[in-house]
Amino acid sequence: MEYTRFEKARIVGARALQLSMGAPPLIETPADVRNPVRVSMLEYEAGAIPLTVKRTASHQVKAS
Amino acid sequence: MYRIIPMSDTVRIPPEQMTEGLEGTIARLVQSSFEGRLNKSFGITVLTTNVQPAGEGQVIHGDGAIYQKVSFDAMVFKPDNQEIVDGIVAEVVEFGAFIHIGPLDALVHMSQVMNDFMTADVGNERLVGKESGRTLEVGENVRARIVTASLNELSPRESKIGLTMRQPGLGKFEWIDEDRRKAKEGGAPAAGDEPHGDKPVTKRQAKKAEKAAGAA
Repeated sequence: MEYTRFEKARIVGARALQLSMGAPPLIETPADVRNPVRVSMLEYEAGAIPLTVKRTASHQVKAS
Repeated sequence: MYRIIPMSDTVRIPPEQMTEGLEGTIARLVQSSFEGRLNKSFGITVLTTNVQPAGEGQVIHGDGAIYQKVSFDAMVFKPDNQEIVDGIVAEVVEFGAFIHIGPLDALVHMSQVMNDFMTADVGNERLVGKESGRTLEVGENVRARIVTASLNELSPRESKIGLTMRQPGLGKFEWIDEDRRKAKEGGAPAAGDEPHGDKPVTKRQAKKAEKAAGAA
């Protein structure tokens, strides 16, 4: 599924919060990347984040 | 009575526990939040098994945890009025004895132990019947009937469960066997109502036992 920039922000943000609260990273990250938001972005780009977006019907109508 | 009942609830999975499999994690979380918990309508939850996720987990704004609906089977123990239970004498106090009946403790008052005048020998952790010489000591197995059950949700240990053993077929296992044998032999009345001929013997024996206990 192609995400909108809003959905991307929500996913990366939610995942970054999980990482900051101690969740283990799902990908190998370079040693210098320690910022949870950065790690979250790398995970998003690798397609490793196990989160999905539930869109409402009205949203889907407007988006299409 | 013990029952296994299906239950469902939502558990919060903290981020630091997003490590191994989902099922193991939620089983652990359900265990820690339900086992040992007392509920007035279900009773005390002894253990939870068969924990299954029900649908997808939810991510909430502002909390890095996942909220997962779960369904599971809970084994509960609820002391019902008039229920017959087997237990072990846990403690003897001035006014009776506390009996372990599974996950909870119940009280059998001195007046409810048998058809005899009971005295508490707290030092030797036992109750002694004046006429019959029968004794009830810590660690012995008894069968009793629940007569009152008032459960305290906030503090299960504060729950008050009252027992009686003053009925045929109730009491210490040895007494039950003895009464049954006597009833078979001569049709003698059961539950502490021994024929009078036995009394001096048992009394003397009780005194001897007391002396022996005092000397030791």
